[in-house]
Amino acid sequence: MAEAVANAVSGYGVGIGWRPEIAGFVAGLPGLRFTEVVAESVHADGDLPAGLAALLDRGVTVVPHGVRLSLGGADPVEPARVRQLAAAAERLHAPLVSEHIAFVRAAGIEAGHLLPLPRSWEAVDAMVANVKRVQAELPVPIALEPIAALFDWPDDELDEARFITEILDRTGAGLLLDIANVYANARNRGTDPLTLLDSLPLDRVAYVHVAGGAEHGGLYHDTHTSPVPQPVLDLVTELCARHRPPALLLERDGDYPPARALTAELDAIAAAAGSPRVTA
Amino acid sequence: MNARPTVGAAATGMPSATAAEASPNTAARPPGHAGQPGGGPGSLATRQAGLVEALTSRNPVPDGFDAFRFEAARVALLRKRAGEVSRQWPMLAAGLGDGWHTMFAEWAATRPTQGSLRDGWDLARDLLARDALPRLAALELAEREAAMRYDGASSPKPRRTPALRFVAGAVVLQVAGRVRHLRS
Repeated sequence: MAEAVANAVSGYGVGIGWRPEIAGFVAGLPGLRFTEVVAESVHADGDLPAGLAALLDRGVTVVPHGVRLSLGGADPVEPARVRQLAAAAERLHAPLVSEHIAFVRAAGIEAGHLLPLPRSWEAVDAMVANVKRVQAELPVPIALEPIAALFDWPDDELDEARFITEILDRTGAGLLLDIANVYANARNRGTDPLTLLDSLPLDRVAYVHVAGGAEHGGLYHDTHTSPVPQPVLDLVTELCARHRPPALLLERDGDYPPARALTAELDAIAAAAGSPRVTA
Repeated sequence: MNARPTVGAAATGMPSATAAEASPNTAARPPGHAGQPGGGPGSLATRQAGLVEALTSRNPVPDGFDAFRFEAARVALLRKRAGEVSRQWPMLAAGLGDGWHTMFAEWAATRPTQGSLRDGWDLARDLLARDALPRLAALELAEREAAMRYDGASSPKPRRTPALRFVAGAVVLQVAGRVRHLRS
């Protein structure tokens, strides 16, 4: 399974996350091979978000990216949410789905954001149990994304690479590596991002997220609303020098710039990765 | 190989991992590690609940966390929610102008999200009750009230019958799902 997920979007080059606000821009990218859509916006019945069907028709691979499963929650994942993710994968004929190593709710309260897990064995067990429950229902493999966190839990039992690797090993899931999260966490913790890259199982990477953020009050926030900073592009190059990922995807979630700025960002990612441009 | 307990599995009633599924490098796991299944003090469930509660209220930062970073996360979360609500309720955000983020953060700091549609709706109704709903936002609220039935506690549902709504001087008529402004 790990091999299947690592090959699911292999050779797809650079993509961009599909959002309604930039649907026209995404549709106009001549070399686009793959995109990602928020899984919770795709329903088994009813219309696809406008514009997605046209992309599917022209052979663009669309990966459903879940944000609300709360796989790392202590509670079992909600069956209705799992069914919805499976239905989205089938509806989009997706070769894989992705979700996060995180939790988003507890005791019935929604946090409204992806929250970090304590790096404990108990959290590994909870995460693994939920991923297996999801895998039992999914028609395709799943890739798991470690998140950017502004804070860490006290009393970690595992370091980050070990925590991630343990979860991947025990589930056979792929790694959705967000290189901007690697940058953000290292910068905020005062650690070296290359140390983490050197400790992760890069052969398990299904694809890579790239995004921009901004510093507020001394902390770097992975907002997806700013241009990708040069240090993140440099990390893309470092990553590709170690192990070329199957594909990379730009995430933008607000303050959408003019099309030419998005074009320049996609080109910059392609250049950093040594991939062909998808914009011309 | 798999003598170690699978705490999460036990807590969730899911089958334990089999020896074949366990990873080869679990030997470093502390022997006798037991965790606290269920919702006992110190369990993952209890710790996660405490964290979410603290993030979505003005409760103190949980023990052991970096207070500065935790507060930064709380503020970032409120900004993110404000952005999501402003996309769902653009006239509400525009009507409050420069005061939007402060107003929303103040209102939302002790209210966990119910989704951006309901959050904006609840805030607009609160502002209306305080005579503080901007004119632009009154029309937007009237449109929503005419189009959907919202009991303040569960997801809004489309109305199946015509509805006429008056909100702070704005008048909106909905017939067969189409909304018309009678006075804005």
